Amino acid sequence: MESAERITPQSGDLIVIVGTVKGAFIFHSDRARDRFRIAGPYFKGQEVFSAAYLPDRKAPRILIGNKSQHWGSLVSWSDDFGASWNEPADGNVKFPAGSGLSLNAIWALEAAPLVGRDVVFAGTDPAALYRSDDRGETFRPVDSILNHPERPYWMPGFGGLCLHTILPDPRDPKRMMVGISSAGTYRSDDGGESWTRRNKGVVMNDDGPPNAPHFRPQCAHKMRYDAKNPERIYLQNHPGVYRSDDGGDSWIDIAKGLPSVFGFPLVAHPRRADTAYLIPLESETFRVPIEGATKVWRTRDAGESWEALGKGLPQHDAYFSVLRDAFTSDSLDPAGLYFGTRGGHLFASADEGESWRSIADWLPAVLCVKAAVVA
Amino acid sequence: MRFHIPSALRRWAGDNEIVEISLPLDVRMTVGEAIVMLGRDCPGVRQRVLDEQNNIRRHVNVFVDGENVRFANGGATQVTNDSEVRIYPAISGG
Repeated sequence: MESAERITPQSGDLIVIVGTVKGAFIFHSDRARDRFRIAGPYFKGQEVFSAAYLPDRKAPRILIGNKSQHWGSLVSWSDDFGASWNEPADGNVKFPAGSGLSLNAIWALEAAPLVGRDVVFAGTDPAALYRSDDRGETFRPVDSILNHPERPYWMPGFGGLCLHTILPDPRDPKRMMVGISSAGTYRSDDGGESWTRRNKGVVMNDDGPPNAPHFRPQCAHKMRYDAKNPERIYLQNHPGVYRSDDGGDSWIDIAKGLPSVFGFPLVAHPRRADTAYLIPLESETFRVPIEGATKVWRTRDAGESWEALGKGLPQHDAYFSVLRDAFTSDSLDPAGLYFGTRGGHLFASADEGESWRSIADWLPAVLCVKAAVVA
Repeated sequence: MRFHIPSALRRWAGDNEIVEISLPLDVRMTVGEAIVMLGRDCPGVRQRVLDEQNNIRRHVNVFVDGENVRFANGGATQVTNDSEVRIYPAISGG
């Protein structure tokens, strides 16, 4: 693989943005995806929890949620594929003075073009949702999440109290789902004015906090819409794998056939209905591939059955984990899949998961992976 | 009052190592308030030293006249117009 100071992708090329605990990298390939160049690291020494690509043909933009252990977190952006970066002097994702909350990290960045051409949402730790109307340059908190009546019952998990998943509905600009750990999956049907927890059917083992024993916290790890049916949502929960066929109102256990119910990421096929991918890990106390053999599991019938895909992946002595935002797909045909590990590997498939290869072996621990075809 | 700006933050202070501000003569001020005041000229420094609630960030050390405020009164440590304030990134990481 070649290294480059900067990349200059052409229309139709692929970029894969990789955020790690020590900076961001951008991988670049043509549509064949048989040869990648690597550029970076950007934000050396900083944790990059989140990334997004805004595919405006005239002004494509890469957004990064970067965190300096010393100097705090913000959203930075590049309009030239990483050659230069903009960091607002005064920051841009901030909790209101007097709220008692201070930003730890930006876990999610999600464009919402149906809500508004330049709208981007950010999810944070502590759990909050922020909205930008200028393509990620400035943000304001969504008050209905910040002041949610159930906030006192939300409890941080090992990774913090994070709003990690943002799913703007692809049909209805007023509808959106978010995932908060450990709180649950919440949906708004009124443009973010109010949010209701949607966890009917999800098994929750623990009682709620002492101030609300009725509030049983749910640790949703990742949710994705089905490619063809936005009423259908797949959920990798902390314990369990689920599907909703009614936009999140209720959930069905679809873990039968999987070797473990524990895992972090979940990817839906970009075009094919009923098709999703998981990376099950051994258990919540041993978060590595089962028996050291790396497998991606795929369903092509919305979770009725699952098949293991491991060709080209390490099948012995592989003891790494794959975090919730470190697995993604591109939009090419056949679809490409990419996942990064906490061991610093980046694996890629150009044939919908049938076969895999490593395209980087020695990165810092990978926090997020996003792929995009340049407009 | 003189602020000594660490090299990592000088891009937010006009590339200056030292930035001076003047306090109102009859006003008692904390170092936290002084950093907020510094932020009028150097918002990028304030943003990176203080969080949204004006607390000194966890991995930043601020010294007032040679004393680490973490072992004094933190951001509430008093300063005067003659104070020397030094900002250091903590030795941290892995």
